[in-house]
Amino acid sequence: MMRGAVFSAALVSCACTQQAPPGNSRVDNPRVEQFARLPNWSGIWLAEGLEPGVDGFSMSRPPAFLVQAPGIPWNESTVARLQAELATNPELQVKPAAGWGYPLMMDGAPPLQFVITPEETLIFNTYRDLRHIYTDGRAHPPEGDLWATTWGDSVGHWDGDTLVIDTVAVREPNKYFGVSAWLSDQAHYTERLRMVAPDRIEGEMTVVDPATLSRDWVVKLNYKRADGFDRLIHDAYDNDRTGFDGDFYTIKPPSAEPAAAP
Amino acid sequence: MSRAFLILLAPFAVLGTALAHHSPVMFDQSQPVTLTGTVREFQWTNPHSYIQLVVKNAHGQDEEWNVEMAAPTYLYNLGWRPGTLKSGDAVIVTVAPLKKGGNGGLLLKATTADGKPIGRTPSVAPGATP
Repeated sequence: MMRGAVFSAALVSCACTQQAPPGNSRVDNPRVEQFARLPNWSGIWLAEGLEPGVDGFSMSRPPAFLVQAPGIPWNESTVARLQAELATNPELQVKPAAGWGYPLMMDGAPPLQFVITPEETLIFNTYRDLRHIYTDGRAHPPEGDLWATTWGDSVGHWDGDTLVIDTVAVREPNKYFGVSAWLSDQAHYTERLRMVAPDRIEGEMTVVDPATLSRDWVVKLNYKRADGFDRLIHDAYDNDRTGFDGDFYTIKPPSAEPAAAP
Repeated sequence: MSRAFLILLAPFAVLGTALAHHSPVMFDQSQPVTLTGTVREFQWTNPHSYIQLVVKNAHGQDEEWNVEMAAPTYLYNLGWRPGTLKSGDAVIVTVAPLKKGGNGGLLLKATTADGKPIGRTPSVAPGATP
């Protein structure tokens, strides 16, 4: 009993004398101030016009970075390559992909989320397409340390309340998702994104890729706050019933095991 | 604009709005079919959800249709939930049938047996034609 009383007294003493580590109060913590200067883009966002119907395909407009989207300023060599592909694959049937990849994810059907911190902004979608936009002042890695990936390497900075993103080393997008634009590994992407209203983010992406384009390609990016989602839901591709009979993709019959709840 | 580019735009315009983890060209969007049936199983799964729908054919025999839908994340946005359909539910669906034939198709519309829409339709971009 006596020992318990002493222990309690010691706890009270500790509580009374303990000081917050320097810089940990809300008033003088520079990190709190760093966060306070950043925009709040929390929530879930949909590319305007790309909200799919119950079929998963129908949308108000084509995604901008689709290879067959209108208005892409392909150069003559790319046009020739596309024509050759269409000659043997007129309906542009492509292999399934597990995600959308970059830049298609920035103007696609999957809902997006932006997580903004002083050091980086994360942009990701429901299919786990994930971008790290480093805003801590770093440059892209040197050439010898950089290789092309599906989502590329991005650095950025804040120009007022506009996020400016510079992206390089994006592996040819159509190698990941065959319907994506036929851009090269050397393409250079610049984005400017800004919240213009509580429920709206606007911006544009400029793509420079002399290997495939005849001029700079500017794409408008518009996002609206999603009203049908209360969370971003991720799930595995555990029931791909798409088959191929040599001519067409088909639907395979269900497996004997129930695919999932309910 | 070069002549080659003009030629190229024609097929692109036809395919412009289609995108998912595979191409929708496997479905015949020009010949929709309406089916009245009973749900055997509702698969709320990635990359597509499916309704296994038992339908009486012209000879009065039961046939099971594989009705493909969007992925759960898109259906969720349209108000669907894993429990929206249960085994034994009577529904009316309109599908774009498989081009190669067989009892399969892509869901275009679903209602309850008394005609009430299931889920909502997506919002339309300003200036776009629904």
